[in-house]
Amino acid sequence: MQSRLVSFILALALVVTLLGPTASAPARAAGNTIVFGAAVSLTGRESKEGRLTQEGYDFWKDYVNSHGGLTVGGKKYQVAIKYYDDEDNPQTSARLVEKLINDDKVNFILGPYGSSATFTTAAVVERYKVPMVEANGAAEAIFNQGYKYTFGVLAPARRYLEGILDMGAHMSPPAKTVAISSANDAFSLEVAQGAAAAAKEHGIQVVYQDKYPVTTTDLSTVVSAIKAANPDIILNAGHLTDALLLHKGLKEQNVVAKIYGYSVGPDTPDFRSALGRDANYVFGAAQWSTTAKYRGIPGFIQTSAEYTREFKAKYGHDPDYHNAESTAGCLAFQYAIEKAGSLDPQRVRDALANLDVMTFYGRIKFDQRGLNMYKPMVVNQIQNGELVTVWPAAVAVAKPEYPTPVWARR
Amino acid sequence: MALFLQDLVNGILAGGILAVVALGFSLVWGIMNIINLAHGAFIMLGAYITYQLFTSFHLDPFASIPVSFVLMFAFGYLVQKYVINYVVRAPVLTTFLLTFGLSLLLVNLALVVWTGDARAVTPSYAGANFSIGPVTVPWAKLATLACALAITALMHWWLTHSKMGRAIRATSMDVGAAQLSGVRVAQVYAVVYGLGAGLAGAAGSLISLSFSLNPAMGDPFIIKAFVVCVLGGLGSVEGALVGGLVYGIVESFGSQYIGTGYQDAVALVVLLIVLILRPTGIIGKATA
Repeated sequence: MQSRLVSFILALALVVTLLGPTASAPARAAGNTIVFGAAVSLTGRESKEGRLTQEGYDFWKDYVNSHGGLTVGGKKYQVAIKYYDDEDNPQTSARLVEKLINDDKVNFILGPYGSSATFTTAAVVERYKVPMVEANGAAEAIFNQGYKYTFGVLAPARRYLEGILDMGAHMSPPAKTVAISSANDAFSLEVAQGAAAAAKEHGIQVVYQDKYPVTTTDLSTVVSAIKAANPDIILNAGHLTDALLLHKGLKEQNVVAKIYGYSVGPDTPDFRSALGRDANYVFGAAQWSTTAKYRGIPGFIQTSAEYTREFKAKYGHDPDYHNAESTAGCLAFQYAIEKAGSLDPQRVRDALANLDVMTFYGRIKFDQRGLNMYKPMVVNQIQNGELVTVWPAAVAVAKPEYPTPVWARR
Repeated sequence: MALFLQDLVNGILAGGILAVVALGFSLVWGIMNIINLAHGAFIMLGAYITYQLFTSFHLDPFASIPVSFVLMFAFGYLVQKYVINYVVRAPVLTTFLLTFGLSLLLVNLALVVWTGDARAVTPSYAGANFSIGPVTVPWAKLATLACALAITALMHWWLTHSKMGRAIRATSMDVGAAQLSGVRVAQVYAVVYGLGAGLAGAAGSLISLSFSLNPAMGDPFIIKAFVVCVLGGLGSVEGALVGGLVYGIVESFGSQYIGTGYQDAVALVVLLIVLILRPTGIIGKATA
């Protein structure tokens, strides 16, 4: 009887341990390797952006490993990253991050691609108290949940298109009206709201604003509505596929505006190769550009120029801002781990919360919510097939070409 | 008024493409009772065939339609003959899973071959347009509509006049009776599935002109094909055409006057209404 009771209690304890979501003891680094986990979109609609994220992470990993690794409390560690494909599905992303923490016993989490996936994974890392630095979810909604373990190196979504409106207001003749279309997802809606607020600030009238489903295959009604509104500025808050679809549609219906500005798209080489000459004059918002003039502290590549050179040597293409911000996310971990002098998740979290460093990508300092409020955005324009930074004037390398000529002369 | 006319034109132009997108899906579903979840992947492959021929051999996208039709037909024929035929009589969930798996396989293979980069087919006339009064019509989309109508008409003629076409229709009416009359059902099924894939390939070629290409591009079209089939009536060529046009126009007006965010919702509400009033689709006939 006695032994039965004991075995029953033992079995119960076992079940509770297995089911319980409490994290086990930290010390997860196997030997001399710190393991990061990341679930990014390697397939699905945003697989392109997912790959760019992965390249950014891997670039940092290889750089650190080839320069002797990270020093934590006087001991050298190599770095490894365990990847899973979340298939561009936020629920899958959350599940995989749970697996990374529970089964793969990774030390820290690097963010997925996109605000929706970041939103779901943030809840998971919070539950397990494992710090996550994310570099590809700019929606502020992620940071308004009171989470303590999620940090984002991006400038928030609402600032994406501000720069283009600021620029439009300072041109001659200044732009007076704007049309804003957006995809119906957390990130894009915030971008659109921010753009509408910025337009108001600059006295630019919003003549059209609407959202379309993320899986849209046809934007011709959006195009005809924009055409009817006849704006000086056409802004889209969406992703690469939508930007391409919209820009093709604008040409098909011969819609001519002074400024075409897209939140995501123009910065990826695909946008230029897919559209050819039609891509000229298009403006894009970017977290970073290859010509941005920031100077980082030692410990990693310090300038955009050097980053661009080394990145291109490794991957055969220029880095776009998705690459750079992803690398920057890893960099935040690097400085925080070294400062904490420990791999204890709690101490690394505290070090992240107090971090204030300058990097090739710009300043990284998180506010109370974990968001990098200190990060400026730049405006790029495609001029003659090349992407150049044109605004704000302090970091620009060329003047904006304005206004955009008719389609036949681009 | 200008906006109204423009939206009508947009809707018709989009509807023509949707008709071809749905045609192959409708035939496979109506005749073989297989909901082909690989249809979107077939569309994607058709688009990449056009892309590849365009970039490697400078072949005009419209000239590549027959190529993608034939290649995808052959592919579909083989898939049916050597894979799906073994489970064609199994419960619907089996073919559902099989075609879903096929779709995953094809999409991931495409990801390996073409990577996830967004691509586009941009002939010199891409985006060229003409205006009639306040309405702007892009040439490429008009030509696409013309091709869609031609493909539909050809299919209709072939199904009603050729021997194989008659065998297909007989099989769809009554498998047992067709078999007794000497129709080789397995052969018919392979041809039908091949046609479904071939038409998907042709649709992919047509779409490549206005849509950007990536391996996941076919997915949203499956749900659209589904709605178009049910709207128009299953397994019939006219049904797909009417369903496609109705869907295109409804979606266009819905997103303009109710809100683009409700694009899909509006089309689905119309589907519900049609199903309540005419359960067999707009021009479908009731079957026993």
